[in-house]
Amino acid sequence: MKIIDLEKRQGDFQMKTGSFSMEEGKIHGIIGGNGCGKTTLCKLIMGIVKPDRGRIDYEGLEVGEITMTAQRPYFIQGSVYENICYPLKIRRIRPDEQKIDGWLARCGLEEKKYQYARSLSSGEQQKVSMIRALIFDPKFIMIDETLSNLDPENLELFEQVILEIQKERPVTWLLISHRLAHIYKMCEVLHFMHQGEVLASGSRDEILFGSEDERIRRFVANEVIRMEEKHGAFEG
Amino acid sequence: MQVIKEFLDTFFSDVGVFDAICVTFQMAFCATGISSVLGILLGLLLERADFVGKKVVIRINRTLMGVPPVVVGLVVYMLLMRRGPLGRLNMLFSIRGMILAQVLIITPIICGMTYTSLVSRAPAVRAFAKTMGADRIQTQWLVVRELKKELYFAVVTGFGRSISEVGAVMLVGGNIKGHTRTMTTTISLLKSQGIFTEGLTLGILLLFMAFVIQSLADFFQKGEQSDENY
Amino acid sequence: MKKQRQWLAAVLATTLLAGVLSGCGGKELEAPAAETPAEAPAETPEETLAEAPEETEPAADEADAAPVEKKGVLMMATTTSTADTGLLDYLAPIFLEQTGWELQWNAVGTGEALKMGENGDVDIVLVHAKASEEEFVANGFGVERFQVMYNDFIVVGPAEPIAHTEDIEAAFKTIQEDQLTFVSRGDDSGTDKKEKGIWKKLELDPAQNPNYLESGQGMGATITMADEKGAYCLTDRGTWLKMKNDADVELQLEVICEGAQDLLNQYGIIAVNPEKYPEVNNEAANTMIEWICSEEVQELIGNYGVEEYGQALFTPNANE
Repeated sequence: MKIIDLEKRQGDFQMKTGSFSMEEGKIHGIIGGNGCGKTTLCKLIMGIVKPDRGRIDYEGLEVGEITMTAQRPYFIQGSVYENICYPLKIRRIRPDEQKIDGWLARCGLEEKKYQYARSLSSGEQQKVSMIRALIFDPKFIMIDETLSNLDPENLELFEQVILEIQKERPVTWLLISHRLAHIYKMCEVLHFMHQGEVLASGSRDEILFGSEDERIRRFVANEVIRMEEKHGAFEG
Repeated sequence: MQVIKEFLDTFFSDVGVFDAICVTFQMAFCATGISSVLGILLGLLLERADFVGKKVVIRINRTLMGVPPVVVGLVVYMLLMRRGPLGRLNMLFSIRGMILAQVLIITPIICGMTYTSLVSRAPAVRAFAKTMGADRIQTQWLVVRELKKELYFAVVTGFGRSISEVGAVMLVGGNIKGHTRTMTTTISLLKSQGIFTEGLTLGILLLFMAFVIQSLADFFQKGEQSDENY
Repeated sequence: MKKQRQWLAAVLATTLLAGVLSGCGGKELEAPAAETPAEAPAETPEETLAEAPEETEPAADEADAAPVEKKGVLMMATTTSTADTGLLDYLAPIFLEQTGWELQWNAVGTGEALKMGENGDVDIVLVHAKASEEEFVANGFGVERFQVMYNDFIVVGPAEPIAHTEDIEAAFKTIQEDQLTFVSRGDDSGTDKKEKGIWKKLELDPAQNPNYLESGQGMGATITMADEKGAYCLTDRGTWLKMKNDADVELQLEVICEGAQDLLNQYGIIAVNPEKYPEVNNEAANTMIEWICSEEVQELIGNYGVEEYGQALFTPNANE
């Protein structure tokens, strides 16, 4: 996928991404400070927000093959099961109930299958929204802080899931997370955003450790310090 | 039915209370039904469409939400009277004429309420539908489904307005006994005869019936969402 | 910028509110000539209206010397016909000028007008249903009934098939037998009672006629409806002339029956009994009765409408 000079004005915030491309079948990550436009970029790719200028070359990817999960996911009125079935329903695919039960069991949600989705806790909601995003086998999946409220075990579970899917079939991932450890563990390619602009794209190590750019180095250093204060030393 | 009619006739003066109740609900259901379809469609359209002067249209809609029914009644009267532009339809002093006036009163209310709830809620639903890969029709359908409660509330408001309205119904319907006399115009008539207690009783009866219908509607609404446990 | 706008909105809203309040306040203070101003704004206009006569009584005593000075308000309940014909609009300023009492009225059906009197909500009633009026007095709600004037009822309707006649009974019979459309007031008003009386006298049941409609509304609305439907209806001449003259849409009905003795319509004026309701403004009510029965005013009534409609709307008969 190629992003070509997207521009979008939102109130006082001017977004001007510049051009970069995302290689198919890889796990990409976006890093950058708060309010640098990560979520807006996802929305632009998703087509939820229309750019003022510029375009996206989806390279044959169709709208129904892209999905995105949000930090605070939306749920339709209905049960967890109905929510997971929704993307299948609009594709007129008969839901494989066993498969869904399997997913729910794996996430420890088997008891909540018929519960009203909006009554779940935020962590549970994030897990359901992940299942819902994976169930219809999309080819481009954006995960916008969806895993951020999960405890370490559940985070690890989904990291496992992502890697499993990655082995089975070619899926392009775009992860946004403020957990640098998670990004470090998962992403092959990183894009650094600063004030609405994608300053640099490159392999994980190039961006995190090899960047010449003062702003990137400062960001990484700050994140590491923050993490150390919170959780102890950064294992990477 | 006949028993109820006789009971009401013995209790109330000779003003045709039973017929008035029938006329009221016949009118209210038709008017609310038509207005709901029109109002919700217009609300959806207004929220989707982007055009020059949209803000003005919305402002006009808001103004019409508070239009005095008696003004609408007068306009409809002038349209429908024998020498008016629609005089040929022979709709003055008929239930159809009353429904027309009520549709004009209620549609802006339902449209405005639909639009307001859409503006605040629809973008999130649309964004979600997009992430799920829904097409335009599926998205629109989801929006309506997700806003069921708000739309239901708009329709109920319209219905309440319909059965309680008296000005337009009096002008266009003419309060003809057994034909276009509604519960509200009956109350107005009873008052003009100085029979206040019967008027009040009829008013309470009207409220009670509205309450019953409301409860029934709530019951069916609940039945559909029994799994909802906030 | 935003802050400025908020300020502007607040100032605008306050100004509007102040304007509305002062407007209402002004009216409230206007009606009762001299009363405690501190109380006025707290009351709703309705209350003030109803209580006004009582509060102004002391003021009236002081103003006795100069009759042209405003003394207070006389509340009248009357039928729609006296108001619709504009007679009261014509008489009220003269009454105020000559006696100092301001006449305010509530134009409703005879039934409701008498009810208002029975409840002591008004000081005086001017209606036209002799039997009910006498009952009103007999029950102690009114002091005495004085006849003031009469007008006459007429039957209006399409010129075909009933030709112009003096014979009201024949006209009503034809309507019943041929099932012609007839719009009745059906609101228990004086006119309605008159019409029902005629049917009764003929021993006919109008409900048998499928084209007999009850409008349940005032005279004007009923005439309009009859005009729309090409129907017959019984009306007082005053309202008819006024409607014929003033309505935007020219009425296509014609007078088809007039002049019968049965169709005379006598107005009576009755002061509400102060023994029953001490708070009513009996002084003003008595002034009104004396005034309206005086030669001078009787002549005014007799001439009212001649210029505009070519004929008198009411015939005075207080002194017969």
